[in-house]
Amino acid sequence: MFTIDTRSRVPIYEQLTEKLKELIIREVMKEDEKLPSVRSLAQDLTINPNTIQKAYRELEREGYIYSIPGKGSFVSPVKNEINRERLEMLKKELERIVGEILFLGVPKEEVIRIIDKMTEPERGSDDD
Amino acid sequence: MIKADNISKRFGRFDAVKDVHVHVKKGSIYGLLGSNGAGKTTLLKIISGIIRADHGVPTIEGESIFEVPDVKKRVLFIPDQPYFFHQTSLMQMASFYEAVYDQWNGERFHQLYEHFALNPNASLSRMSKGMQRQAAFILTLSAKPDVLILDEPFDGLDPVVRQQVKNLLIQDVSSRSMTVLVSSHNLREMEDFCDAVGVMHKGGLLYERDLEELKTDISKLQVAFKKIPDESFLAGMDVVHYEKRGRVLTCIVRGTEDEIDRYVRSYEPAIYDVLPLTLEEIFTYEMGSVGYEIRNLIV
Repeated sequence: MFTIDTRSRVPIYEQLTEKLKELIIREVMKEDEKLPSVRSLAQDLTINPNTIQKAYRELEREGYIYSIPGKGSFVSPVKNEINRERLEMLKKELERIVGEILFLGVPKEEVIRIIDKMTEPERGSDDD
Repeated sequence: MIKADNISKRFGRFDAVKDVHVHVKKGSIYGLLGSNGAGKTTLLKIISGIIRADHGVPTIEGESIFEVPDVKKRVLFIPDQPYFFHQTSLMQMASFYEAVYDQWNGERFHQLYEHFALNPNASLSRMSKGMQRQAAFILTLSAKPDVLILDEPFDGLDPVVRQQVKNLLIQDVSSRSMTVLVSSHNLREMEDFCDAVGVMHKGGLLYERDLEELKTDISKLQVAFKKIPDESFLAGMDVVHYEKRGRVLTCIVRGTEDEIDRYVRSYEPAIYDVLPLTLEEIFTYEMGSVGYEIRNLIV
């Protein structure tokens, strides 16, 4: 399904949550779709099952997935306020990136155009 | 699962293991790290019931293991140099294991030696170090232990076999909650494999921790300021180590990410990055704080 970069500095557990979030956010994994079981994922990726368990717990805590005892974990229906904390962080990140773009002399209109282009064909998770 | 409290062992006047506490949860992969001669092998041998501690009794699921065959049947130990009877083949060793270990699975044994392409009838003493180790893994994994204790297990294995062995271990951990206690120097390898680690130094256990916890507990900062703040900046954090190169300050800091983040931002840095630490770096800095550090030797 995906690979883990064992040479990266980023902890495996974080890589796992990030990859799964990406798959969910980009709707590669649809609502109520079953995630691979801890056991099979551990085997496929040769990763400690406890690490995977932990990543799943974290995703559940953040509201990306839900689990049914004895059945496994599933993708949660899309919620608008998925995680306030995460949103705040992303906004800050965006500020930093836009700041750099403006510093390099790109006009504001260009940035706005990029955003317009992104929201056009796709329905984003935000309403506007 | 594995509980070892107050374990001490002396050899003559030498304290090999001093007052060590190790707790390993069921289904966990616990990495025992440490400097050379730290007492890792001695501790593993005590926990697997091969030698008796002077002090303290290690237990496996609440039962003592030393000279208790019923417990020993479920606990397997692969020493740093695998041991086979003189001039035996893999097949002959297998029949010995079958007689001793109740949970022995002959079918699995067959699959494993075919998979690793070892000749089951060749004399083990004529095999290379790596092949002997593979043989030890084949035997051990066919005996389906509940607890597996490994001393420097990946030594001498080529990368392909190494990955396969790891994969087999992980299958057993995830499917039947086998508990693994493994010692190693190869921190890079332990990082991907373990979920908890213990660090030993000079016979004592410096600490044991959940690996993710350990990693979020300590981080590396890179900060640069337009105007360099005074000493109070460093004094306000729990700094393990710092280095200044030009205007850029690199610090290894203890504490939660949020706390550090808020603190550093209050000084309005021009550049600020937090890098996760590798296990190797954590090890080096933690060892440095007990006086065991990398000093460049000039001869």
